Amino acid sequence: MSKTLHRIFIFFLILIGAATFFFFAIYGYSYYLTSSEERFFHELHKFLKPSGSIGHGLGIIGSLMMILGVSSYMIRKRVRRFVRLGFLKYWLEIHIFLCSVGPILVLYHTTFKFGGIVAVSFWSMIAVVISGVIGRFIYIQIPRSIQGQEYSLDELKSLNQDYTNRLKAEFGLDDVLITKLEHFNKIEIHKKTNFFSISGLILKDHYINKNLIGEIKKELISRKIKSGNIKKIVKLCNSKLILSRRIILLHSVHTIFRYWHIIHLPFAIIMLIIMLVHVGVTVIFGYKWIF
Amino acid sequence: MVIFTLPVDAQVSPGDLAKPHAHLEGMSNCTKCHNIGGQVRNQECLTCHTEITKLQNEKRGYHNSNEAAKKNCFDCHSDHHGRNFRIINFNEKNFDHYKTGFVLTGKHSKINCADCHKSEFIRDDKTKKRVGTFMGLRSICIDCHQDEHQSTLGNKCESCHSSENFKPASKFNHDRAKYVLSGSHLKVECIKCHPVEMKNGKKYQKFKDLSFSNCNSCHKDIHKGRFGNQCENCHVTDSFHSIKNLEKFDHGKTTYPLIGKHVSVKCIDCHKGGLNVKPKYEKCVSCHLDYHNGEFIKNDSQTDCSVCHDVSGFNFTSFSIERHSKTKFNLTGSHLAIPCITCHKKNTKWEFRLDGNACVNCHQNFHGNSITLKNYKGNNCEACHTSEKWNAVTFEHKLTGFELLGVHKKQDCSKCHSNKNENTNKIISFTAKSDCIICHKDVHAGQFIKNGIADCQRCHHFDNWKPDRFDHIKTSFQLEGAHLKQPCYKCHKTIVDEKGNYIKYKLGEVKCAVCHS
Repeated sequence: MSKTLHRIFIFFLILIGAATFFFFAIYGYSYYLTSSEERFFHELHKFLKPSGSIGHGLGIIGSLMMILGVSSYMIRKRVRRFVRLGFLKYWLEIHIFLCSVGPILVLYHTTFKFGGIVAVSFWSMIAVVISGVIGRFIYIQIPRSIQGQEYSLDELKSLNQDYTNRLKAEFGLDDVLITKLEHFNKIEIHKKTNFFSISGLILKDHYINKNLIGEIKKELISRKIKSGNIKKIVKLCNSKLILSRRIILLHSVHTIFRYWHIIHLPFAIIMLIIMLVHVGVTVIFGYKWIF
Repeated sequence: MVIFTLPVDAQVSPGDLAKPHAHLEGMSNCTKCHNIGGQVRNQECLTCHTEITKLQNEKRGYHNSNEAAKKNCFDCHSDHHGRNFRIINFNEKNFDHYKTGFVLTGKHSKINCADCHKSEFIRDDKTKKRVGTFMGLRSICIDCHQDEHQSTLGNKCESCHSSENFKPASKFNHDRAKYVLSGSHLKVECIKCHPVEMKNGKKYQKFKDLSFSNCNSCHKDIHKGRFGNQCENCHVTDSFHSIKNLEKFDHGKTTYPLIGKHVSVKCIDCHKGGLNVKPKYEKCVSCHLDYHNGEFIKNDSQTDCSVCHDVSGFNFTSFSIERHSKTKFNLTGSHLAIPCITCHKKNTKWEFRLDGNACVNCHQNFHGNSITLKNYKGNNCEACHTSEKWNAVTFEHKLTGFELLGVHKKQDCSKCHSNKNENTNKIISFTAKSDCIICHKDVHAGQFIKNGIADCQRCHHFDNWKPDRFDHIKTSFQLEGAHLKQPCYKCHKTIVDEKGNYIKYKLGEVKCAVCHS
């Protein structure tokens, strides 16, 4: 898949997710804002109630999307037979899509009523989603190949050196500027595994980098380098700075990411189990949607 | 963790049950409403809500309407929406009460729901306890309205009353009652037959258990039972004045049995005010005109006709001669023989009160003014006549100064007192004059009249016409000698002249030569 096609693909996934969210938000706005005592009398109740023709469907479809998203990604990731089935990155994107839109549908299925044991499932789902978002953030802190394989520290360092060489060779950056980009070299490998500490560091680094890039940009302009090259230089500088940071944080991120799995997966399992109980109870009591 | 601290009951429940169902909270109660595999079926609802089942079985109430009957309970009555959820979402203003089977009309359409839907009107104890319920009311008027009839007329008030007004009972049709109104009964005010009485300490108008087996139940029997209780045999309801079956009516049962002429008289002739109007009959004049125009009113009191008449007819009278004798005019003599009409119907009308007892009231006074006797004053005929016979006069003629003597005694009065007038009618006249020529013919052609008076008695007497009293000596020519032997006609010749044919006795100057030649 080309980069452009991939972007279009991602765009559509986001569009579908956003459209789904906003459609039901707009369509069910008045219903969802109605107090629970009054909803029964709302004209959309028969459609949007959890057992309604739409609401029930949202629950079922949303649940199936999550099950599909989780199971497919896990199978692709963990079953050796499917290791070569597509890039893991894409599977992850599909996993994220299904496990984002699915909860949105389930959210509307709940009609924002969160009570009883099924609420455990819901909040577990929310936890999974949130942890998924966090996981995604952590995930991208670990540089990977296009196929999703992690780079080793040496590989990363080599990659970093490539950036340095390119800046020097292609754009004639002198050592003064290169030295500014190597500020992380002064920092030792980050040892802390505190998520918030790392997040703080990333934010701080992001701020520093932003200023640094600004300085470099000014310097490049003062040296009357073409604006087209400045963009390329700045882009390479950015990549180098981020890579440098990730190299520094690689150990810590790895550690956190292991912890993250411990959180993300159990919530998903809790959600799934209680959801099955919920489904079981509703089926027992005869609520089968269109079936 | 917070979720798990919630009661176990709440873990499966999708939400709190509303207050009326709050007692059903808990997992053990789920299947009381939810059917395994069948969601929420009506039968689970109706297992508890027997009042709905009852209404549906009785095919009444809103839940039996086309709108509600087609629906499942949960289409309208959901739950698990919180404690304050209105299981019954009832819009009083928009609700069409027609769907309950009890259409709000008239006054019902103008009052508030709560005026009827309140616990005091609900009979079922279970429903009565429900706050704000619209259930439990029956469409029986007395559930809300006071039964003015005190349970005597059942509970189908609507068969008589409309919802517009209780009074009058505009839908009431007396034809449906056991006693159908007809005739004048249709115009009578209800209260006339349906009295207000007291029952259970309250006034109420009695409409049932009224006795109407016979008319006397309401009407006073003015006949006092003489005609029995079957008033309808004679009377109709249009009016008591309208009588039927007159031909069968036995007037003998009345206080005035009809006999005689009364039998054939038309009812209306006596019952002028109507057949039911009892005429006065104490006296005949109560019905009959006083033919006699008050002749028999004495001391302002009418003598009843029955004194003289009876019902066999007015033409007949029981007034006898004996009773006539007790009147001021005792019938005697010929009066006994003559018919009443002779005296009492001189004209076209009978008259019994005659002006006095004078004979001239009836009898013609033939005498006119010709009788000048003192005892004849006042036309007192009885001075001469008796009732025995008109001609049998008991008159003493000598009282007239002319005593009847001789042949006069034997003569009928009319011989002297009868004459004919110009019209040749016989008249009886009496005069004070007693000169003979008034009655007798002066055969002497006035020869002896002196000073207008013939004075025959100078020669004649009353035994016969022989001139026994004549004495020729007393004349201017005394008979002597041969004259004594000579018949009278020798000297007194019959003369025929303008005075007639007569014997001339007055010979004037007596000269021998007159007779002797």
